Amino acid sequence: MPKIPEEVYREIRKYALKLARRGYVTAHGGNISIRSGNIMWITRHASSLENLRFEDIIQVYVDKPSSFDALASTETIVHRKIYLKTPNLAIVHAHPPSTVALTFFYDEIIPLDSEAYYVLKKVPVVEGSPGSENLALNVAEKLKTCYAVAVRAHGVFTAAKYLDIAYQYMCMVEHSSKIILLTEGLKNLGLKFIKPRKF
Amino acid sequence: MYGWFGKGLKINLSNKTIKEFKIEKDILLNFVGGRGLAAKIFWESVNPKIDAFSNENILVFAVGPLTATSIPTTGRFTLASKSPLTGGFFYSSCGGLFGASLKKAGYDVLIVENRAENPVYIQIDNGDVKVKDASSFWGKTTKETFEQLRGDLGKDFSITCIGPAGENLVRYACVFGGLGNFAGRGGLGAVMGSKNLKAVAVRGDKKVKVANENEILNLMEVFKVRVTWNPILSKALAFFGTSMLLSIINEHEILPTKNFQHGKFDKAEKISAEVLSKIVVGRRSSYACPIACKRVTKTRRMHGEGPEFETLGSLGSMLMVDDVEVVAELNYLCNELGLDTISTGGVIACAMELSEKGIIGEKIRWGDAEKIRELIFNIAYRRNLGSELAEGSKIFAKKYGGEAYAMQVKGVELPMYDPRGVLGQALAYATSNRGGCHLNAYIISVEVLGFPYLMDRFSIVGKPSIVVYLQNLSATIDSMIICKFLGFEFDEKDFAEYLRLVTGEKFTQEHVIMVGERIWNLERLLNLKAGISGEEDKLPDRFNLDIKPMLKEYYRVRGWDDNGIPLKSKLKSLGLADCYA
Repeated sequence: MPKIPEEVYREIRKYALKLARRGYVTAHGGNISIRSGNIMWITRHASSLENLRFEDIIQVYVDKPSSFDALASTETIVHRKIYLKTPNLAIVHAHPPSTVALTFFYDEIIPLDSEAYYVLKKVPVVEGSPGSENLALNVAEKLKTCYAVAVRAHGVFTAAKYLDIAYQYMCMVEHSSKIILLTEGLKNLGLKFIKPRKF
Repeated sequence: MYGWFGKGLKINLSNKTIKEFKIEKDILLNFVGGRGLAAKIFWESVNPKIDAFSNENILVFAVGPLTATSIPTTGRFTLASKSPLTGGFFYSSCGGLFGASLKKAGYDVLIVENRAENPVYIQIDNGDVKVKDASSFWGKTTKETFEQLRGDLGKDFSITCIGPAGENLVRYACVFGGLGNFAGRGGLGAVMGSKNLKAVAVRGDKKVKVANENEILNLMEVFKVRVTWNPILSKALAFFGTSMLLSIINEHEILPTKNFQHGKFDKAEKISAEVLSKIVVGRRSSYACPIACKRVTKTRRMHGEGPEFETLGSLGSMLMVDDVEVVAELNYLCNELGLDTISTGGVIACAMELSEKGIIGEKIRWGDAEKIRELIFNIAYRRNLGSELAEGSKIFAKKYGGEAYAMQVKGVELPMYDPRGVLGQALAYATSNRGGCHLNAYIISVEVLGFPYLMDRFSIVGKPSIVVYLQNLSATIDSMIICKFLGFEFDEKDFAEYLRLVTGEKFTQEHVIMVGERIWNLERLLNLKAGISGEEDKLPDRFNLDIKPMLKEYYRVRGWDDNGIPLKSKLKSLGLADCYA
């Protein structure tokens, strides 16, 4: 396999573990990539983000397929399309449960909390089968104008220049979704919803 | 019956008698079809001790209950016989259209007995069966035979045929199945040749009745999604074909190089999928196959089918050939002459090493493409040294006292995974019923590719159980019959559902595994009776691998004794109590 830089492994592993600890991925779900020129390092197909091994980082091309696509994440096609259509350099894909639940009810998720509202504005919800060209196109298109995209019944993609920022977006999306769920629950208990005059 | 026709066809080439016969349902339920049915037929009708080229040997063409249904990849057929390489029972699975056509002609199995006095071919046109003169085809290449027969009979006939290598009884001659597919291994083309059988042409238009067509169509929607999300099936194989493996295997340092002297070829990039893709001019798909892994290529001088990964290794890194166009052209030559590319490469690599060490007099230099081309011709026509090479590396090397350089198991040249870097594969090679074979248990999926999970390839922990599981599952896959590539995404639970929906019978995942285990044990018994004992469960000394601890555990998991003989209690549990060796 093309030599994977040790620091790339350490960086991806750090955020993979954070996603797992937060419960944003199940045992072998989710994936992370970092771009460097025409190559990207991406987590292996079905690797466990809570216990990422050195051999779980796969190097593939951004601009063309390679033999090693066979080993890379199912969503490599989505990552590739995002890198081709946006200037981002890092992508996080996870399955945060509150956000996935909301995708069954909304076409876009508008954060209620101020921080997420200011940063994300909205999280569009798109459709597409995992690993499909259709999903890749839908996600990449939305990420041209948004920081995060949810996929109905599936998960969330976030992209940024830095892996840490893409991870932040992911946390922010899920945090906002939890607030929406809590708020809707309180509304159902009969509490009066007070819309902020301004954030 | 759903899925099966419950009918077979038996043709005696000696007296030209043609008989249809009924296949009992309990045999189909217990052995399913394809490889399993062929093993059962062998057990019932052939003395395992006979020579592969003897008149008493039979050829079995078998399909399965899934063949020619709307379930993807179900156009395959099994060809089975005694192998002139191993001396034991051998099967080979072949894609293309032939299997679907045989099934649609109304048959689950075709048995060919005895030897024709003169060259013949078999023509099956639905229920109309003839044995016809093939004198005008004898001596022709697979491509010429295929095209001439299709010209004579019509393009709706599916054809399987042999080339000059089969006619000349080269012990690793293969059988061409159309659309770039071959029943490649074990020398079954030579068995066809020994019977003076040049080809089988079949046309069928019967519909295969299935129990739950609507549910199958619903299931296929899920099938499509699961294929899409599998990066090997929908991306790598679809984009590059099997050649995508070359760089991966080389980077893991398990690409056989220079007759397994090394596990890494420093010029692998020049024969990689990425370079090969520059000469790819088309893709080929078998019956109902969405993956379309076959490749048509065009060099500056020629065009043809392949090369696939195994051939890039066997005619590339094994022989130190680093020009992808040369490998492709050597592949075309083997295809047309009807030679198994893995064994051809393995035998020539053995000869090159014997030459290098001065054990044989003939000068054969590594990477000498012209010499390799000449040797391939000479093997197919059994000329000069080629006649000795046509016997396979085991017999050839032994003649010169160079057994250590024959990289084979049970007489069959090893495929393109160096077992030193994949210990589960080492065990799978050693215990394979058909000798040096990667397809009896494709544990590379787990040890290298990470499907469904990446195991430590240098560890032996848990490997015997996984090898047993994969061998059993593979036996059922070869009997249903579907393409083994589906194993990258689907498992016995899915396969049981396919069988249930097609046949209407109560197949469960336990049943799927048990059918495979039954077939595996029956094949083992056939080999034991043929004189292939547990002592043959070994690897060439070159690898310096002590597999005894794994082997001991493997025998225990299998329910066999310390000599690798199935225990009565195991056979009884599989419904094979009467088959005790």
